[in-house]
Amino acid sequence: MDKTSIPAIRIEGLMKRYGTGDAAVDALKGVDMTVWPGEVVGLIGPSGSGKTTLLKCLGAVIEPTGGHMQLSGETIYDGKDGGWRTGDLRALRRDRIGFVFQAPYLIPFLDVTDNVALLPMLAGIDNAAARKRALELLTALDVAHRAGAQVSQLSGGEQQRVAIARSLANHAPIILADEPTAPLDSERALTVIRILNDMAVQYQTAIIVVTHDEKIIPTFKRIYHIRDGRTHEEAGEGRPL
Amino acid sequence: MKLPSRRALALGLAALLFLAGFGWLVATQGPLARVKVTVAKAGETTLDRTLFGIGTVEARRSYAIGPTVAGRVAAVLVDHGEAVTAGQLLAEMDPVDLEARQAAGSATAARAGQLVASAQAALAEAGSRARLAQASSERYADLRRKSFVSQEAADAKVHEAAAAQAGQEAAAAALAAAKDEARRAQSDLAGLGKSRAHLRLVSPVDGIVTARLAEPGSTVVAGQSVVQVIDPATLWLRVRIDQGRSAGLAVGLPVDIALRSRPGQMLKGRVERVDLVGDAVAEERIANVSLGEAPGNQAIGELAEATLHLPPAAKALAVPAAAVKRVGTENGVWRLVEGRARFAAVSTGPASADGMVQVLNGLAAGDAVIVHSNRTLTPDLRVNVVDTLVKAAP
Amino acid sequence: MINLAGRDILHGWGKFLFTGVGLGLLIGVTLSMAGIYRGMVDDGQVLIDNSGADLWVVQQGTLGPYAEPSSIRDDVWRGIAGLPGVAETGNAAYLTMQIEHAGKESRAMVVGMEVDRPNRPGAPAYLTAGRPVLAGHYEAIADELAKFKLGERVRIRRHEYEIVGLTRRMVSSSGDPMIFVPLKDAQEIQFLKDNDALLNERARTAANPAFNRPGVPGLLEAVQAANAQSRMVNAVLVRLEANADPEAVAAEIRRWKRLQAYTKVQMEDILVAKLIATSSRQIAMFLVILSVVTAAIVAFIIYTMTLAKVREIAVLKLIGARNRTIAGMILQQALGLGLIGFFVGRLAAGLWAPVFPKYVLLLPGDALRGFAIVMAICALASVVAIRAALAIDPAEAIGG
Repeated sequence: MDKTSIPAIRIEGLMKRYGTGDAAVDALKGVDMTVWPGEVVGLIGPSGSGKTTLLKCLGAVIEPTGGHMQLSGETIYDGKDGGWRTGDLRALRRDRIGFVFQAPYLIPFLDVTDNVALLPMLAGIDNAAARKRALELLTALDVAHRAGAQVSQLSGGEQQRVAIARSLANHAPIILADEPTAPLDSERALTVIRILNDMAVQYQTAIIVVTHDEKIIPTFKRIYHIRDGRTHEEAGEGRPL
Repeated sequence: MKLPSRRALALGLAALLFLAGFGWLVATQGPLARVKVTVAKAGETTLDRTLFGIGTVEARRSYAIGPTVAGRVAAVLVDHGEAVTAGQLLAEMDPVDLEARQAAGSATAARAGQLVASAQAALAEAGSRARLAQASSERYADLRRKSFVSQEAADAKVHEAAAAQAGQEAAAAALAAAKDEARRAQSDLAGLGKSRAHLRLVSPVDGIVTARLAEPGSTVVAGQSVVQVIDPATLWLRVRIDQGRSAGLAVGLPVDIALRSRPGQMLKGRVERVDLVGDAVAEERIANVSLGEAPGNQAIGELAEATLHLPPAAKALAVPAAAVKRVGTENGVWRLVEGRARFAAVSTGPASADGMVQVLNGLAAGDAVIVHSNRTLTPDLRVNVVDTLVKAAP
Repeated sequence: MINLAGRDILHGWGKFLFTGVGLGLLIGVTLSMAGIYRGMVDDGQVLIDNSGADLWVVQQGTLGPYAEPSSIRDDVWRGIAGLPGVAETGNAAYLTMQIEHAGKESRAMVVGMEVDRPNRPGAPAYLTAGRPVLAGHYEAIADELAKFKLGERVRIRRHEYEIVGLTRRMVSSSGDPMIFVPLKDAQEIQFLKDNDALLNERARTAANPAFNRPGVPGLLEAVQAANAQSRMVNAVLVRLEANADPEAVAAEIRRWKRLQAYTKVQMEDILVAKLIATSSRQIAMFLVILSVVTAAIVAFIIYTMTLAKVREIAVLKLIGARNRTIAGMILQQALGLGLIGFFVGRLAAGLWAPVFPKYVLLLPGDALRGFAIVMAICALASVVAIRAALAIDPAEAIGG
């Protein structure tokens, strides 16, 4: 791990409080986290520990109430200095954050290629170039043979691969994976993790996998435990895949 | 770029079909649809021209028989529908005192005859007396010349003779007067007989009683009819023909007649008389049409349709009457020129019963004219020619 | 950028199409309603246009001959024909009556027209079959709506008439087919009574001592003959010279002939504004309600369609799709639905319009207006759905 390079994401003292006054709940009480390009880290913790809140903050979906966030060395959020640096969070998500969900959540009315190509298209890249990039990713993920298929014709594993391809489509420096293996058996779950690891290396992207899936926890080299709104970093087993 | 999928093709085809159907509907059903017309060629033909009128069956001569003076009807001897002969007694008026007056007249005449006889006797007596006085006077004159008698005596005899002569003349005058009186009484009597004859109502012709208008005992005024008689051989139609269509109406035209009681049976007739005075209120002319061979028992007053045949117009340029339209204040036809309607003003002549009308000018033989259309035509309107606009009856 | 709306429509085209067709039928009903209204107005309009008159002269103080009964002497035309500007006059009699045909009674308007010359005022402007009336009596031209055939004989009151010609769109203001007969026959139809009425009338006259006096033979007959005469018509139709001012001639007739005269404009006002005012308002009301219902249904359909895509919209938002993109998708779908609906509706209305018993007139202008309104309604209706879509939280895609 090249610790001298710029971290893909660095957060310090990130806080999130829901509500105000007596009803206020502190979901995040100062989270620190640093993830480097090419690295896959696990984010684990029990229900209600603030896992999802952290993910939403990282994904620029909800606004934290304090702390500091950097993406590829660039500050995107500073709780002391006016919050989000950009007013266009959607562009931020579109261009710099990839999402993989528990379910694939593909767009059912688009075919496989267009599901992946949609992101570059939304970013303003013309259709042909976007489809070309999509096809490259699909090839890398070994689903190029289903490029013209409808989403509904795909198996669950194939759909998940397409979803991963979509998250990579705009070369985002960071990919947030929310329980990507929950509905899968252990073999397939491990396959997904292996793919994520491969992709992280291949595209030099940082991947944060939120999970409580015991089958895959041993595969992480680094794990952040979140408990009671705070994170604790520890080394993982880093079991080879 | 990938090829469109088969589904997209199918959908596109369906959409295309749908739009084609839509276009067809708009183009054929709505106000944007092309006007459909039927077309005929103007051509020379023989036009059977007819006049049409409504007539009633009437008797040419109808005899209303009634008394010449007011009186009471004594007897009516015939009834409605009876055939009568000329001279037959139909009814009698009550004579009232006529017979008594006749008897008195006869007596007066007889008395006048007797008076004549008596006057003749008186004349004979006066004559003989005059002759005697004359002879006596001549004898005395002779005697005076011979101076056997005095002058006075002779003069007296002359006077006597003159008086007797005057008496004879008076008797002759009385006789003439008596004769006159006898003649007067005789003619009085004859006059009463005539009156008596007038109370007898007799038929003037052989005919049929069409009305019995009074019954015995009722009083009628002079001139009121008691019985009506017609001559059935003189039944004819009184036909009313619209003035606007009466051109050519003349005596002698052959007529087809359909009586209302026998609409299917065509009777032949001819125009016998055209009334010189028309009906100004109804704007009709009146023609009398004989019934050729009348079928019998047709009722007077029965309606009849009369079709009068005018001499046909030979070699007339004609178009169907339905083609003649009016635009503004002009009559004309719509010609079909290169698929478009063109108005041509024409003047028209008579029309035939089968729907052809003569075109006097404005059109040439062989010109195509629009006969029927499903909308009002306008100049230069594009039209579709079809065989018929109305579906034939199944 | 690919068209998301189009892709969505193509993906669920069956559902979309059926929804569109359903909406289309509703729009078809609305268009038909407008067509019925236009048809009513047109019925009045053709009545005016087809009579071929520039002026209608009727009884003083009436709105005749169509909207009110009017009765004038049939020689009144002689006085009118002499006025300056008058080209031609024609007597006309109108009466609405039941006519029996093929065992069924149907309503028809019998029109008495002058037939002595072709194309007198009041005669039908065009025929679709047969010929004009050529004989002076007992021939008739019928509108196709009356379902008579050429050559058929139809009994009207005391006489049988032969149908010699057929015409189209010659209807009364209430849409009844017209049957054109010669004027004299129409007068007879209108004023001469049936046998029983005649006998009763005769008996009534005979019982009146003023008309049946002893010693005056012929008086009763004369009175009865006078009673049976029918020398009235309903209107005199006047055609004007090309350069005559209708209002001036009408004023002349009103002032000096002591009759009412209406110009074409006034007649239109009577027929369209007065005679069918209530029924047309009724239909207009229904039209408004139908439009509102259509709008509500479109809004509802599009709203439901949007709600069915909450998850997709949340994902789209999460991966960075702009509001404009999402709103555009919904709007395009709404307009697409409206487009299908409109075409289906216009097609449906066009298909079922000829089946209506009365005239349904689908004007291209109305269709265009309808199209604009449908599109506007769809756009408006999509606003609700767009607001709902924009309120979807992209966070819904993450976790739960």
